[in-house]
Amino acid sequence: MSVHGCQHLSAFKAAKGTDPFRIIYSYFIACPSADARRIKAKSCVCHTCRQPTLRLHACMYCIYFGCYGAKHIHEHAKSKKHNLAIDLTYGTVICFSCEDYVYDKDLEDIARSFSQKPSLNLVNLKDPFSSWEPSEDELQLLKKNPKRRKVDAKSTVGLRGLINLGNTCFMNCIVQALTHTPILRDFFLADRHTCQMPGESKQCLVCEMARLFQEFYSGICTPHIPYKLLHLVWTNARHLAGYEQQDAHEFLIAALDVLHRHCKGTNGMSCSNPHLCNCIIDQIFTGGLQSDVTCKQCNNVSTTIDPIWDISLDLGPGPPAFSSHSTPSPGGTGFTNSPGNYEPTSLLECLKRFTRPEHLGSSAKIKCGKCHCYQESTKQLTMKKLPVVACFHLKRFEHSTGYHKKISTFVSFPDELDMTPFMSSSRNDNNGFSNQIIQDMPTSLSCDNKYSLFAVVNHCGTIEVGHYTCYIRLHKDQWFKCDDHMITKATITEVLNSEGYLLFYHKQILEYE
Amino acid sequence: MADLQERKIKDAQMRATINQKLVETGERERLKELLRTRLVECGWRDQLKAHCKDIVQQKGLEHVTVDDLVAEITPKGRALVPDNVKKELLQRIRTFLSQQSNI
Repeated sequence: MSVHGCQHLSAFKAAKGTDPFRIIYSYFIACPSADARRIKAKSCVCHTCRQPTLRLHACMYCIYFGCYGAKHIHEHAKSKKHNLAIDLTYGTVICFSCEDYVYDKDLEDIARSFSQKPSLNLVNLKDPFSSWEPSEDELQLLKKNPKRRKVDAKSTVGLRGLINLGNTCFMNCIVQALTHTPILRDFFLADRHTCQMPGESKQCLVCEMARLFQEFYSGICTPHIPYKLLHLVWTNARHLAGYEQQDAHEFLIAALDVLHRHCKGTNGMSCSNPHLCNCIIDQIFTGGLQSDVTCKQCNNVSTTIDPIWDISLDLGPGPPAFSSHSTPSPGGTGFTNSPGNYEPTSLLECLKRFTRPEHLGSSAKIKCGKCHCYQESTKQLTMKKLPVVACFHLKRFEHSTGYHKKISTFVSFPDELDMTPFMSSSRNDNNGFSNQIIQDMPTSLSCDNKYSLFAVVNHCGTIEVGHYTCYIRLHKDQWFKCDDHMITKATITEVLNSEGYLLFYHKQILEYE
Repeated sequence: MADLQERKIKDAQMRATINQKLVETGERERLKELLRTRLVECGWRDQLKAHCKDIVQQKGLEHVTVDDLVAEITPKGRALVPDNVKKELLQRIRTFLSQQSNI
C-alpha cells in the first residue's frame, strides 16, 4: 500500500493530469455553493438504473456515474476499458485493473485543500471531524518515548489511592470524584490549561490539579501523597486549614472556587460577577437556578436566575411535595403518618420538594413590581440551565444553635437520572406543575436532560466522629470504592445501597455549541 | 400485483425526492456530521477500527482489499449502532421533512 497510486493511475495522470479528479471532486464531493449542491442533487444518480444509490462512482475517463452494489460501474469499466473511477462519497480512487482502491499523494493533497475551505460554513458545519494527526513536535516526542499503554475495557489506569494526612479523608474523596469526572479528565489530559500566574505555577491550584491528573493516570499503583495539594488549599481557603475533620461539601465548593479564581489569575476579576466567566470550572459545573415569585393578587411573575455549582437538598420532615395530596398513599412513597411531616426517601422526592411551589406566608409579603402592593406570593425553584456535571448535596448535617445532628436516613438515588420534570421549561404557567408526568415533547429531545451517576461520596459515623469514603465509576459499568489509600472493586448494587451524601452525575449527551 | 409494482415505483420516487431535498439544502451533510460525531462519542468508530486492524492482520496487508473489509465489517457496524443514536437521527429527519412544504 503506497501513496504513489498504481501504474495505471500514474499513466492516467501523465496523460490527463489531475484536472479530471479536481473537477469531479469540486462539483460532486466538496460542493462549495448552494448552486453546486442543486446540480449534485439532480445528477448524482446511476446512469444505468437511474437510482441515487449508495457508493456511486464517477468514471474518470468519461461522463458516467454508476453504482457499486449492482456492479454498474464495473460493467462500464470493463466494456469501455475505463479502469479508473472515483467514489463520490469519499473521493477515493478505484483501479479496476488492480481490483482495489489506490492512494495517491497528489490527489489526497487536492482533496485536503477542498475540505479545508471555509465555504463549508455555508452549510453551517463547524470544524467537521477529522482524525488526529501528530504535529512535528508530537512526532518527535512519540519517537523518543516508544512505550505505549493500551487502554481497554479491563484497564484500571486512573485508579490510585490517596494517603490520609490526618483527617483528610474529606479531601481525598473530592479529589477522587474530580479525577474521575470524564470531561474534567479530558480537559487536563489534553493539556488545555495555560497558567495565569507565569513563573508561579507552584502556587496555581489548576496547575496542581494538572499535576495530580498526571500522577493518577501515570499507571503507578502505589498511593499518592497529596501534600502539595493540601498546602495549596490551606493557603487559599484559610477556613479549611487545620487537621480537624472538615465537611466534604464545603471542601468541594472551596476547591471549585479557588480553581475558578486561578483560571483567571490572582489579579483577575474581582468577583463582581464570579460565574460569568468561561473557565473550565464554569463550563462544567455551573448551572442556572431559576426562581419565580408569583404575586397572588395580579399573577405577575418575577423571575431571577442564579448561577449554582451544586444543588443542596433538604432531608428531614417538612411539607409534602404535593400540596393537594390529603390522604397518605399506602406503601413506600415516603409519607409518614401525619400529612404535614413528610420525609423524602429518594433523590427524586427531594427534587420534587425542591421544585414545588412554596407559599410565602403573610410574614413574608413581597412588594409586587406590577401592581405595587404588598401581597402574599408563591415562590418556585426550577432548573433553567443544566450543568454538564450536576452535584447533589443531601443535607445530612444540621447545625442549629447548640444542636448538631446527622440525618442518617437512607435516601435512594438512581444510576440514571432524567432532569426534565425539574426544568423551567416543564413549569406550567399557572403556578407550577399541575402534575408530575413527564410531558412528551416531540420537538425537543428529552435525552438532553439525562444524567449518569459516576461518583458517590459517603459519610459514615456521627457528626462528631466520622469518616468519608467514596465510590467512583471507571468505564461504563465498573465501580470502585476509594477508602483513602485502599481501592477495592465494588458492585453497582453496593453503590446504590450506600447512604449517599454527595452525588455526582454527568450529562449523557453533550451538545456542541 | 400491479398495485405492488405501482407502490414500489412510488416509494422509489419518494426516496429520490427526499434525497434530493436533503442534498440541496445541505441537510444531508449536517446529518452526516452529526452522525459521525455521535458514533465517535459512543466509541463505535474505535471499535470498528480495531476490528479492521484485526482483519488486515489476518488477511495480510498486501492481500486485503477494501471490498474485503466492507464485507466483513458492514454487518457488525450495523449491529453496533446504539439505539439512541438511531432515534436521534430519525427524529432530525422527521423534523426536517415536516418543515418541507412541498413533499
